[in-house]
Amino acid sequence: MKRLLVDNLGERLTRRLAGRLSRRSALARLGALLVAAPAFPLLPVQRARAADEGKGTDFSRAAQTDDNTACNYWRYCGIDGNLCACCGGGMHSCPPGSQPSPTSWIGSCINPADQRSYLIAYRDCCGASICPKCSCLGTDHAMPIYRPQANNHIIWCIGANTFEYHCSMAILVGLAE
Amino acid sequence: MNRLPHGRAAYGIAAVLALSAGRLVLPAHAAPAAGQQTPPVLQSETAGVTPFQGLAPHELVYSAMDAIAPPGIRIIDGDTAKPVGTVYSSEYANFAWAPDNRTLYISETYWTMGNRGKREDVLSIYGGPKLQNEGEIALPGRLISDPKTNSFALSPDGHYAYDYSFQPAPSVTVIDLKQGKVLTSVEIPGCGLVFPFGERGFASLCGDGSLAVADTDAKGQYSVHRSKRFFDIMNDPVFDESVADRKSGLALFITYDGWVHPVHLADQPRFDKPWSMEGAAGLSPATSQVGQITWRPGGQAMAAYQAATGRLFVAMHEGHPWSSEQGGSQVWVLDVRQHRLLKRFDVPEAATLVAVTQDAQPLLFALSDGWLWVMSADSGAVLRATQVVAPGVLRVRGH
Repeated sequence: MKRLLVDNLGERLTRRLAGRLSRRSALARLGALLVAAPAFPLLPVQRARAADEGKGTDFSRAAQTDDNTACNYWRYCGIDGNLCACCGGGMHSCPPGSQPSPTSWIGSCINPADQRSYLIAYRDCCGASICPKCSCLGTDHAMPIYRPQANNHIIWCIGANTFEYHCSMAILVGLAE
Repeated sequence: MNRLPHGRAAYGIAAVLALSAGRLVLPAHAAPAAGQQTPPVLQSETAGVTPFQGLAPHELVYSAMDAIAPPGIRIIDGDTAKPVGTVYSSEYANFAWAPDNRTLYISETYWTMGNRGKREDVLSIYGGPKLQNEGEIALPGRLISDPKTNSFALSPDGHYAYDYSFQPAPSVTVIDLKQGKVLTSVEIPGCGLVFPFGERGFASLCGDGSLAVADTDAKGQYSVHRSKRFFDIMNDPVFDESVADRKSGLALFITYDGWVHPVHLADQPRFDKPWSMEGAAGLSPATSQVGQITWRPGGQAMAAYQAATGRLFVAMHEGHPWSSEQGGSQVWVLDVRQHRLLKRFDVPEAATLVAVTQDAQPLLFALSDGWLWVMSADSGAVLRATQVVAPGVLRVRGH
């Protein structure tokens, strides 16, 4: 319940911020950087509960931990796009010529190796033309666009100086338990 | 002629003239054989534009899947499966037709240096007998995302346009199309998308499972209030691509597990009892229980509604919970008044988008990443097929 309280506070803060920001202001740009941060604790509660019950998810049951260029790599449970790992980048590095967006959407994925749930920040690399490799669509607990912090359809180049989508990374943030 | 400069410039102009009239001069040496009649001299031609007759009842209009396919708004004739015309657009564009079916509004975004530079969000207007650009209205911002049908819409009478903006503060830009200007931006914290109703109202879906309802007072000022929570956002969210009939204000909010929440949009929305698509088919309702494989709605623009007959067409697949973007091997036809499954149509390959025409002899369009199948909406027979660029948003006349 304590975690739930933190979640609710985080969500209220997010909404309050979002509601008060004028779109062209410097504060809005700051908000772009901040918007994902308070949202981080939102999803894992549900997923951690699932992990506690030993159920996993339909994605995690078929996930693997060896090949980060395959769509069933465990961190890609909520990714949507082209894997930077196939494009000259890595799990947390953009391919040369592109740049990481400061904003991200989030998910939490269960690592089959330890059955723990980890918080993943999916971050787009922007500025270069699309990398037409390894297109993956992870929809495990991915939320609709009206719950944006966990939505993978938004072009998350918000805060970068370009909206040209190149590829997506899956950065491990920490345990979601 | 004696005023033309000599040299390469004059030669270039002559080359252009020769090319434009080339069909006239080439056959001159081909004299007919003795005894044959001389064919009539071919007439000279001028370049023009095929007249645009307005969007026809059986035409489908679709944008492209951004970053994958060349952008543009394309019109295709469902009776022939052949292109009718194309209008230029940016990537990440959305569009809507005015009630006259001749004026096209495109919400789009450009950067002065392609991938960088000054950003310009605009509502571009196309129309007239040649479907040409008739100007733009500057917008204060937009949503940049994969195609979302409900990110842009007109009021039922076509007077206003509503454009969902996310930067990342969510708001709806209200544009007066008669005056050609932005009226206001309505903040909708925690919510997104736009479902118009009435003269000036709209509703948005919210991240807590409620609706934000926005309407104007006597002075034309918008106020926003929240409805009750009517769906479980964490376990069974409502699709972004849920459908609504602007004229009647009936929205059919469809969940990932196949529950239909009929909502009569108004300042005080009325919520009808939800019903299950799987239940309508005589199956147990789908749940979000891990490992449950059953029929579920899924895809991109996975549902279409035909208002006159109350029929809902949904791309359905057999899948596990959260397989909400898996294309359908079947299209289910559901009676939204009786909550009954009327028919199940097989699709040649998984369809991720569907649309249905609103006329009395309706066509059903089912699309994948590369194919369009034109089907009878009554029998499900595949009438014709053609290759298309990966599609984004679909529109038909009256929707």
